[in-house]
Amino acid sequence: MGAGQARENGYAGLRGRPRTVVHLNIADFAVAVERQMDPRLRDRPVIVAAGAGARSAVHDMSEEAYRAGIRKAMPLRAALCRCRDAAVLPLHPDRYARAMSALFKEAYAYSPLVEPGRMDGHLFVDITGTGRIFGPPVDVAWRMYRAVKKRFGFDPIWSVASNKLVAKVATRLVKPVGEYVVGEGEENEFMAPVSLDLVPGIRRDERIRLAGFNLVLAGQVAAVGKEHLETVFGARAGRIHDAVRGADAAPVAPAGSDPEAIGVSRTTGSDRLEIRPVERALYEMTEEIGAYLRARQAAARTLSICVFYPDGMRTCRKLSVHPPSAGDAGLFETARTLLYMAWTRRVRLAGIRLSCPGTTGRSAQLELFGGMDGHLRHEALSDAVDRVRERFGAGSVRTGRMLEASA
Amino acid sequence: MTQRKHACRIRVGTSGYSYNEWTEAGFYPPGTTGAGMLPYYSSVFGITELNYTWYQMPRAEAIDRMQKTAGIDFMFAAKLTRTLTHEIEAKKWEGEAARFRDGIAPLVQSGRLAAVLVQLPPFFGRTTVNRRYLAALLERLDPLPVAVEFRNDSWATQRVFDGLAARNVALAAVDAPELPGLFPPVGVLTCHDFFYVRFHGRNAAGWRSGNMQSQFDYDYAETELSGWVEDRIAPMAARARAGFVFFNNHVRAQAPGNARTMIRLLSDAGLAVSGGSRSRPAGERFGM
Repeated sequence: MGAGQARENGYAGLRGRPRTVVHLNIADFAVAVERQMDPRLRDRPVIVAAGAGARSAVHDMSEEAYRAGIRKAMPLRAALCRCRDAAVLPLHPDRYARAMSALFKEAYAYSPLVEPGRMDGHLFVDITGTGRIFGPPVDVAWRMYRAVKKRFGFDPIWSVASNKLVAKVATRLVKPVGEYVVGEGEENEFMAPVSLDLVPGIRRDERIRLAGFNLVLAGQVAAVGKEHLETVFGARAGRIHDAVRGADAAPVAPAGSDPEAIGVSRTTGSDRLEIRPVERALYEMTEEIGAYLRARQAAARTLSICVFYPDGMRTCRKLSVHPPSAGDAGLFETARTLLYMAWTRRVRLAGIRLSCPGTTGRSAQLELFGGMDGHLRHEALSDAVDRVRERFGAGSVRTGRMLEASA
Repeated sequence: MTQRKHACRIRVGTSGYSYNEWTEAGFYPPGTTGAGMLPYYSSVFGITELNYTWYQMPRAEAIDRMQKTAGIDFMFAAKLTRTLTHEIEAKKWEGEAARFRDGIAPLVQSGRLAAVLVQLPPFFGRTTVNRRYLAALLERLDPLPVAVEFRNDSWATQRVFDGLAARNVALAAVDAPELPGLFPPVGVLTCHDFFYVRFHGRNAAGWRSGNMQSQFDYDYAETELSGWVEDRIAPMAARARAGFVFFNNHVRAQAPGNARTMIRLLSDAGLAVSGGSRSRPAGERFGM
């Protein structure tokens, strides 16, 4: 493969150099952490369950439990029918966060570009250009693996590839243990026999559509060509075509720069199917995101919501904010639309996560004619509220909606 | 010196070939991508030692793809995977050995496998358990061509050499820093099919640093290499049918530079050396 194709595959990194990405993946992370805390859990099926009582659902399970037929989001009651001797543990997000933080520190010794997953045992490390200091990439990856195994007792799957997508597929292929090194320029051949189920970035409905055309492997879809895919998938064709060929230009986002990190979560405690308390929680989250953006002179271009049901199911939706805004009122308008789009089941919610995956700089340009109007006015109001809260405390100014909550 | 007729054909190469820093150091032409390295390398050298098979169990499809990109007469040595040398699990190793054999099968089938290198770690001393394990491992690898590299001097005994000779397994002759506990740099021929030499460099300060960039940072002087040719390689070549010589001092492309020097020295000593496709005359290149 020539340099041209290398660029097309999106792995040309700094100064046109090929990138080298290491992916560490601790399979069944929640279970692995729990087993570190309690060695008695080793060699027996373990289920980590979200929620309590009749509506509790499987959050994560050990390999033994997986082999018994247990899957994520399965109702706990149904899971226990399949594997009666499984140890059932509650979720301990604080433990997983601590473990992720320790893993991050280990990888950070090799590169400042470390992208941790969301408490799921995944780490992407971009080690491009570190060869002169640390040696060949495969050796660096193995040393990271060895350090994680020695210090924390985890046995991570590891892979080395030229981008995140290929590295992720590689670890998925060898799960639950093993390693995979995909050489630079081998992305096409590597992806060709891979099932579409394992390719990130292809949605379930798209997989079903492709299966309808008898296309179930990445190589089969790649062979169809982008033009033909466009007739079926429109604007998504390019994304799909890239994914099946192992092309991925997404950078390894250094920790803290992950735009999805501009997000907040709430558990909705009520056991009743009520919209008002959920809207209030949503407004509170909107205020948090708005304040975060305004403090950085940024505005939201996109908002994303995930609603979580007590049975483990979730629905995620995304919307553009027109025009980009950092005002609470403008953001809430979009957030509320998102809530209605995502909350389609007539079941109470267990939690919501609102995040801002797309941001832009705040416009300093005022309207040429007339005064401030629309979103600019809302932003100015939010700025004023921020200043008051900064001086007199977070509870000094509240909206009527939130007063209703405390009444 | 005129080249004398000799049955032993020697191939000289490097341990691994896929190093981006070799482009910066001038070995690979500017802009050479990962996929373009082996085709270029095989135009210069006639053999390489696959290092990545130590980190990752080889997969037949990847090995097959790789070998097709090399020159037609190019050969490979494959380092045995770490789960069989450094991270041995009593219950798993036999399965791992079978997987390794499956992985390198394309090289065996195409007749391009020069040898399997069993590189044993410094902590692998000559104990009863380890002796039994090594014997069982060699049995599992039979009849593949195998070379064993020890990094613990407890294995430097006549009984070990005899045991290897009885199995027709080569003892890797190793040049490394003179540090206590390391296997000595002896050139003992235990296999009449081939001999196997590895040059690691003599960086004593970096050897136990745990960082390959320090461990293998060394540039051999020509006199150091000519000493090896005279004292060890030429005597072994006089009795073996083939010889494989590898340079592991990869840092800043010192390995390919030293390998080129070695090819010249061997040639000057009247030994038959096979180079890459560019170094062979047209008739040989096309198998005539």
